[in-house]
This record gives sequence, structure tokens and C-alpha cells, in this order.
Amino acid sequence: MVPLHFSHFQSLLLFALIISLAFGTLGRRKPIERVKYAAWSFAMFLLVGIALGWLMYPFSK
Amino acid sequence: MFEEDHGHPAAAPVPEVSSQDGAQGEAAGGATEAATIAPTQETVDAPSAARAVAVALAGWLLPGLGHALMKMWGRALTIFLTVGFLVYLGAGMRGNVFEPGGEDAFARLGYLADAGTGAFYFAARALEVSGSDVSHADGDYGTRFLATAGVLNLLAALHAYEAARGRKA
Repeated sequence: MVPLHFSHFQSLLLFALIISLAFGTLGRRKPIERVKYAAWSFAMFLLVGIALGWLMYPFSK
Repeated sequence: MFEEDHGHPAAAPVPEVSSQDGAQGEAAGGATEAATIAPTQETVDAPSAARAVAVALAGWLLPGLGHALMKMWGRALTIFLTVGFLVYLGAGMRGNVFEPGGEDAFARLGYLADAGTGAFYFAARALEVSGSDVSHADGDYGTRFLATAGVLNLLAALHAYEAARGRKA
């Protein structure tokens, strides 16, 4: 298969999107609750991921 | 994809407080579980437990199959697609697909996580014809994608087991 190349942020986006979708579907029963939970989970993945990235930034130098 | 699932199969014996759903049902189940389970229910629960184990095993072997057997079509499709997509991405990014008999604890744990994808483990091996390459960030992320796919599928299999037992859905 053709090798796939993603940037760090693209990888984070893909990971957050897929896992949030699964969490929302498994964790809630009603459709609207699933959408809300998936959106919240997605936002938290991004927020925490970016925050951790900035926290580690000083150690990259 | 987000349609309302059927909580339980119509023919399944339903122990305890399975007709309730959500947090309220779980809370009530925790409080009344000891009181509602009579000793005579052991014989009733036995086939249900065996069926739940079979559902969990099916869900592990083929992601989504456990929920499909419970007629939870939305969840079955979502699990199949998310686990499959994670495996595809992980293999495409040339992540490490661990083999059994690893030399250290990390390799053995990695294999356990990868094996969680069930049949998709072999798909990952087949897709990754040029082998893994973790010298770049892509390969490192791919390794995590594959491991996450396995752990997610194990979580889904456990969820299917709980649903089959009538505990939560």
C-alpha cells in the first residue's frame, strides 16, 4: 500500500476524530447526546494535546 | 450511523434491572442488585453468561460483530469502521505491528494491544508489505494508531459483553 504521511497536527486531528466518534457512539444512547459527547471529547483531545505540546516545547531546545 | 440502538435482544433472558438505561439505571442497579438477584436465578443466568462471552469473543475476533449480534447496528458499524480505519492508517504510516514472543515487556504489551484488533491484526500484517519504519514520526504515530485500535476493540467487546448481560447499553 502507499505509505501515508501526516504532520503532527494532522495525526492529532485524525486520532481525535476517530476516537471521539467511537466514544460518543459507545458512551451514549441518544443521537443528540452522542453528537454532544463526541464533540466535547474531540475538543478536549485537541485542547489537551496542544496544551501538552506547548508544555513540552521548552524541552525541545 | 447515530440511530437509536436496540438495548437488548428480544429473546435474551434479562436479569436484574436491565430495562432501565443510562446513569439512573446503573445507580439503581447498584443499589438493588443484591436484593433482586435470587439464588434461583443462577440457572437462568447461565445461558445468558455463556451467550455474553460468545458475544464478546465475536466482537473481539471481528470488530463490531458483538454489537451486531445484539442488533446494535449503529454501534456495530461505528466500531467496525473506526477500528478498521485506525488499523489502515497505522499500517499505512508504517507503524510497528508487534509479533508474539517479544523480547521485552513493551513488545509483549504491544502485541497484546495489536492482537486486540482480532482479525484486523492479520490485515495490518498483510497491508504493511514493506515493514515498519519507526525512525520517523509517521511510523511512531502509526504504532500508536494500531495499539489504540486494539484497545478500542477490546473496550467495545467488553461493552458488548455488558450489554449482553443486560447491565448497560
